[in-house]
Amino acid sequence: MPLRLVIVIANIFGALSRISKRGSGVMVSGRIILKLVPNSVSILARDRNVVLVSGTNGKSTTTALITAGLRTKTSVVSNFTGANLFAGIASALSSNSSAPTAVLEVDEMVVPWAITQTNPRLIVLLNLGRDQLDRLSEVRVVAQKWREALRNLPTRCAVLADADDPFVAWASMASTNVIWFTSGVAGHMDASTCPECGEILQWGNTGESYSCMCGFKKPNPEWILRGEQLMGPHNQTINIQSGIPGQAALSNAARAVVASHYLDVDLKTASQAISKVASVDGRFGRLQIGQTRFRLMLSKNPASWRETLRTSAQGAPSVLLVVNANTQDGKDTSWLWDVDFAPLQGRKVLVTGDRRLDISARLTVGAIAHEIVSNESEASAIFGDIDADLIASYTAFHRLAKGVKKS
Amino acid sequence: MTLTLVHLLPELLGTYGDRGNVEIASWRLSQRGIKHEVLTVGIGDAIPTTAELYFLGGGEDDAQIKASQLIGASLLTAVNGGAHIFAVCAGFQLLGVTFPASGGRTQQGLEIVPIETVPATKRSVGEILSAPSIPISTLTGFENHAGQTRFLQDLQPLGKVLSGVGNGLDTQIDGLVTSQIVGTYMHGPAFARNPELADWILSRVVGDLAPLHAEVFNELHNERVNSVK
Repeated sequence: MPLRLVIVIANIFGALSRISKRGSGVMVSGRIILKLVPNSVSILARDRNVVLVSGTNGKSTTTALITAGLRTKTSVVSNFTGANLFAGIASALSSNSSAPTAVLEVDEMVVPWAITQTNPRLIVLLNLGRDQLDRLSEVRVVAQKWREALRNLPTRCAVLADADDPFVAWASMASTNVIWFTSGVAGHMDASTCPECGEILQWGNTGESYSCMCGFKKPNPEWILRGEQLMGPHNQTINIQSGIPGQAALSNAARAVVASHYLDVDLKTASQAISKVASVDGRFGRLQIGQTRFRLMLSKNPASWRETLRTSAQGAPSVLLVVNANTQDGKDTSWLWDVDFAPLQGRKVLVTGDRRLDISARLTVGAIAHEIVSNESEASAIFGDIDADLIASYTAFHRLAKGVKKS
Repeated sequence: MTLTLVHLLPELLGTYGDRGNVEIASWRLSQRGIKHEVLTVGIGDAIPTTAELYFLGGGEDDAQIKASQLIGASLLTAVNGGAHIFAVCAGFQLLGVTFPASGGRTQQGLEIVPIETVPATKRSVGEILSAPSIPISTLTGFENHAGQTRFLQDLQPLGKVLSGVGNGLDTQIDGLVTSQIVGTYMHGPAFARNPELADWILSRVVGDLAPLHAEVFNELHNERVNSVK
């Protein structure tokens, strides 16, 4: 059957799934396409500029930001709704076969497959940290997979890699065409030992550099983000603004500028377009429940909780935490104990979700005053007519994001 | 004399939130007004041999080997001096004679207890429930390990496995209890989900404990036990 016909059929089933409210239809159509034409992704990616984006945190946001940067110049197809497995990628590519550029968010474990199938121009690797250890592998297993996948890239493909993260750096060193980026992130909770040899990794006093006696060390970055200034290898300097709050978002905006620049978008044009993105797939979106105006935030592992708590601490004094442990959240909640909840000190804190007792136990020991509530509506009844932050784990976030006001 | 809890090498043995055990132990002592200090031993720090209670958590392969090298004979010295140990997962495996390393190699352990750990064909991941061999309520945790552990002598397990794998090798048991050591495959952390286990271990170190009304831990315990039953 010709691929074009397969896509038509797949889209009909996707639409049926949407109409019957079983899902967005993305997974259904992608699965049908891959089932009927197993090499469909390779066909759909042919003759396009493909950018792949992966990492533990920031995939969706960075994908959306790069898309915004590249759209100033060309038509772009993307999957920044979190559908980053095989079917999601197939579905995204099939949704617009005429767009000359594709920016694809890719699950960490799917990176090797995506590279083989899409023959990318650019691979953006953000970070690797502990996440859903019951479902995904331990960090260095993922790094090893990436390293193998990056070993024999075609010469047209570059890797935009984070030099601050020893695992990303080690994996990317397998490629001969790397653009190194730094935003001065200090330290790494999973990188006490060297990814290359297993000896103790030596971290500099400020935590911004690392080296090992085996010779592995932090690469020299070409693109450096200091504060809001991004400096490039040819004395370029550009001010980076992010419409999305937080330090991580600013770093991702800078990466998106570099990625857009690599694909021939002028730095200033890219930067301006990227600064206008204020919310990605519900993140930092506004959600009204009862009288309370919530700002919705996603947190799914220790690194993202740290970033979100820091960002949230600048916001409203009231906060609701929603913790679930479904398959997509990771069924093991032990990692809650790896998060420092001190930024919640002194705020009005409510907790809910399927695993509200786990988070309550954690906060009790951390001396963070809080109350348990049965759901978001009860939280709203307590908060009343105020602004508040709502920090939710993956499945709760995606349920609530459906209610975010589109603006 | 100050009671000292030692958190051993959290950068290496701390992949699965097991630091919570130390924080909870310290909190449960503080709530009862029992003076103590928590000493976190990092990479490069000297390991004290005279503290009362040592905590070891879970970790990845390379980190586990490195921890074993850094700890060396110090922990055995501490145990011979009367110290207690609570060890989880990789930390539990470390206490034995051998444990598996990457690439099919076998790594020498600390040889504090006569157990050995061998690689399993399938990783054990999921909720674990066991009937304890000590006088406390049903034990609950979350296990995630590639090794399975065998007793080389007649030893007392921490629990009989009701659901999950534990030590594996068809033994239907989890962990180990000696007069000074408790080992287990239960993350969670174990002390968050099993307040009675926390108090049972602490009382072996400091003597009888006053009751503590911290309902959230009991509720969490019951919820987790019932989720598996």
